[in-house]
Amino acid sequence: MEPAVKQAFNQGNLRANAAYQASRRNVTIDPITRLEGHGKIDIYLDSKGDVERAYMQVPELRGFEVFSLGRPAEDMPQITSRICGVCPTAHHMASTKALDDLYKVEPTSAGRKIRELVYNTFVLEDHALHVFVLGGPDFIVGPDAPPAERNIVGVIGKVGLEAGKKVIGTRKRLRELIAYFGGKVVHPVLGLPGGVSKPLNPADLPKFQQLAQDGVEFALWTNDVFKQIVLGNPGYVKLITSDAFTHKTCYMGMVDEQNKVNFYDGKLRVVDCNGKEVCKFTAQQYREFVAEHVEPWSYMKFTFLKQRGWKDFVEGPDTPIYAVGPLARLNAADGMATPKAQVAYEEFYKTLGSKPVHHTLATHWARVIEMIYAAERIEQLINDPEITSPEVRRVPTNGPQEGMGVVEAPRGTLFHHYQTDDRGVMTMANMIVATGNNAARIAMSVERAAKGLIQGVKDAAQVPEGLLNKVEMAFRAYDPCLGCATHSLPGSTPLRVKVYDRDRQLLRELVQG
Amino acid sequence: MREAVMAQPETVSSRPPCHAETAPPRVLVLGLGNAILSDDAVGLHVVRALRGRLKPDEDIAAVEVEEMGLSLLDYIVGCRDLVIVDSIQTGRVPPGCLHEIDGDDSLTRRGGSPHFLGVGDTIACGRLLGLAMPERIRIFAVEVDDPFTLGESLTPPVAAVLDDVTDRVLQAARSLATA
Repeated sequence: MEPAVKQAFNQGNLRANAAYQASRRNVTIDPITRLEGHGKIDIYLDSKGDVERAYMQVPELRGFEVFSLGRPAEDMPQITSRICGVCPTAHHMASTKALDDLYKVEPTSAGRKIRELVYNTFVLEDHALHVFVLGGPDFIVGPDAPPAERNIVGVIGKVGLEAGKKVIGTRKRLRELIAYFGGKVVHPVLGLPGGVSKPLNPADLPKFQQLAQDGVEFALWTNDVFKQIVLGNPGYVKLITSDAFTHKTCYMGMVDEQNKVNFYDGKLRVVDCNGKEVCKFTAQQYREFVAEHVEPWSYMKFTFLKQRGWKDFVEGPDTPIYAVGPLARLNAADGMATPKAQVAYEEFYKTLGSKPVHHTLATHWARVIEMIYAAERIEQLINDPEITSPEVRRVPTNGPQEGMGVVEAPRGTLFHHYQTDDRGVMTMANMIVATGNNAARIAMSVERAAKGLIQGVKDAAQVPEGLLNKVEMAFRAYDPCLGCATHSLPGSTPLRVKVYDRDRQLLRELVQG
Repeated sequence: MREAVMAQPETVSSRPPCHAETAPPRVLVLGLGNAILSDDAVGLHVVRALRGRLKPDEDIAAVEVEEMGLSLLDYIVGCRDLVIVDSIQTGRVPPGCLHEIDGDDSLTRRGGSPHFLGVGDTIACGRLLGLAMPERIRIFAVEVDDPFTLGESLTPPVAAVLDDVTDRVLQAARSLATA
């Protein structure tokens, strides 16, 4: 269409729309019609009316490489932090570490500690948000509570108003620490190859030391709330440990030299479904250990353990499929590096009976344990005499070529990989995000939920209404990125499920969001 | 004009809540979106354009926000009326169409989102915690074509309606400011 015609058409549309609004006062958006940005799930039945396969697709971010090419590599920590409004600090840090590697420069000791301090603060804040606001309502308010109550308002109703103020207040103070160093939370300007841009002024130390102390108390309180409300309820425990939410896969997570969980730096360790170490590697070796599989039904790339080869969506000791995220990190490590988190870690495995824990919904508890670690680590770092050192950066002297950086984002392992020309201009950019690392296991969870609910279905009426909620719970535990956009509308999980009969005829469509 | 002129998108961290330094504006227009995700940024574009049209004596602040969920509280607290400009993709109308939602509608439409808190939840949460929440809320959402490709420009059908949408939002903000 000619641009002029197009413009006239659109303006006409806008006027018609405005006229309609004027006559009706407003246009109500039926959330059920928000189709384009949906997670799409297609379920195919066999001749008996049982599930043969279930396929899930999510809208994905496009054009990262094209957008990056030709830009100075130094811009990447800022650009990548703007990709996602949910985990800007994770992208910023993975990107900064990729720049260290690109210029082969080791950050100064103080610079490294400031990065780790900021990073743990981010993880603590993001995890707290998830526990109380996003994933937590399912458990704190209850999985069977009406959707209208399964939200932050319902959570405050359950934990109390004062506790609600504590959550909101702590979150705000944690963000102030991130902003102190980064200037902004959504677009931090902190990491530079070889260190950070700003030291910590000793005069500002006391307020952050107080924050660290309060952070530990806050995390321990959260663990108590979780244990009391969730673990104190046999119904919830039964749900968490049910077969519908259990998968025996491998687990990947970053560990320090003692094989303890670390979010900022270390090696990536993978254990199999029996907890046996499969491999351990650095960011620079990731391509030797991680490969991507493509399925004809999805644009999504499914990562798997390269040395095991792709074997379809299978579980068990030989599966190449691995999970990332809080549960995977706990499973892949031998313990936590801080004392109070270690106590919680031991209680976690004792309560759930074995290690690794394969129950996807146990991720919520694992997240709380990681909050304790993050808070304790903040306290260690803020009380480290070196944290106020002015030597926060080592200026790179080597020419750039290729760099990889990895961090544990709140939702799981995040890889950044860049190549540049000798001026440091980007010639290649690749990124593997947590949702990509989890994609195969998410697909398995969705199929499992569908199989549990659809059996012997002959007609549309036999497709159960509860299908959508159950499927949603199956993938919500992974907190997947359904396109990294910042839409606040319509504010609910966009999901569409289509069920096809044996002749590939559409039997029923369920939509929400 | 207080706080209405800001060249860059700002966050709460670098910028105090709207009531911190001066009295809050009567009307706060928040443009939401991601600046580097093509059409997702339409709310930011609208607010930027709108700011240029505000007269110095108007009690309206226009702010671009690349955050969401609970973070919005830090902007909203203390403002009497709120106008939100965002993108949406219903697939039901052509890109460029403008949807308008009453605040009350959005309040009733709660539900868990994988990452974010909806506007309704955020406001309800603020009220519950005893924070000063806006009395009236208007939400405008532009139907978009592509909010998933990294890029700094809008697609043609969305770019084409920028002026008209800005007019409409400004008109709504002014009617709230003078009411």
